[in-house]
Amino acid sequence: MNSSILGGSQAVAEPPQDDEYEAVEGLDRASIECTRMHEAAAAKKTASDYEHIVWSYGVLWSLFAIYGVMLWRRGARLRGDVETLRTRIDKA
Amino acid sequence: MTRQIPIVLLAIAAVVFPLSVHKIFLETGIERQLGTAQKIFYFHVPMAWIMMLFGLVCGIAAGIQLRRQSRRAEAVAIAAGEMVVLAGLGVLITGPIWGHASWGKAWTWDARQVTTGLLWLVFVAYVLVRRYGAAGSDRLAAALAIFGAVDVPVIYYAVKIWKTTHPSNDVVGTLPPEMWAALWPALGALLATAIALVAVRARQEMIEMDVDDAWVRVDELREAAKGAAS
Repeated sequence: MNSSILGGSQAVAEPPQDDEYEAVEGLDRASIECTRMHEAAAAKKTASDYEHIVWSYGVLWSLFAIYGVMLWRRGARLRGDVETLRTRIDKA
Repeated sequence: MTRQIPIVLLAIAAVVFPLSVHKIFLETGIERQLGTAQKIFYFHVPMAWIMMLFGLVCGIAAGIQLRRQSRRAEAVAIAAGEMVVLAGLGVLITGPIWGHASWGKAWTWDARQVTTGLLWLVFVAYVLVRRYGAAGSDRLAAALAIFGAVDVPVIYYAVKIWKTTHPSNDVVGTLPPEMWAALWPALGALLATAIALVAVRARQEMIEMDVDDAWVRVDELREAAKGAAS
């Protein structure tokens, strides 16, 4: 981090320059930037975590859904087999 | 009545699943050390329990099938074996995703991971032998299922025997009440779904066995009729 930006620990807030920074009462620029930096890091980590969560939950329920569809198709095939068998027995 | 059980279980899961999501994401706090990614725990751990439960069920049912030639046990073993493969795949995918999010490494070759991978491979072999094996391979498959079931306690005790990245087995018992309150619905929803699917699959397998027998009888009767006519 650029020390000229942080400017060390300041007790008094610097005056605002254009629209890039607005002084907050009781907080110096360095503290605010430091807080923002940590907030950005935390937000990035949380976003990454949520991405991982969505993937894992998505995979889990997709597996169940795929297996459910496979069972449904197997059931349909079995019903066809039973019907064919019944027809054959009726003919015999 | 028994035919309605899977429908009832799936209906319960459909109600409990949204409740579990609500509890996990809106009522349970973010774990301090592992962060938001720890919420994978609420589905990863129940899937692991389901995998181990059905691994035992499959092994026991396969043993009964070998000893008593029970068709019901055979059908239950096949259905449970498939659920082990399904749940095992879920565990082996969600675990590394969680590991990657929390520690930056998906796979560390720790004892619990390796024994879980081994269990999954054994039951994949079981399902493949059941599906593509020649006549008489059901006995080999049953032996594989029993071997797989023996791996279940090894997975459980792996964290005690070897040094692993997984926490000890006691950690679940020491969870704060709010985490338990989120874990129970997640476990309930997944377990209800798993039992329902296993029940449906076992029933299908029994019908398939009956249909196969009926085909053999029909062919025998036809041959007998032909013989009588000539």
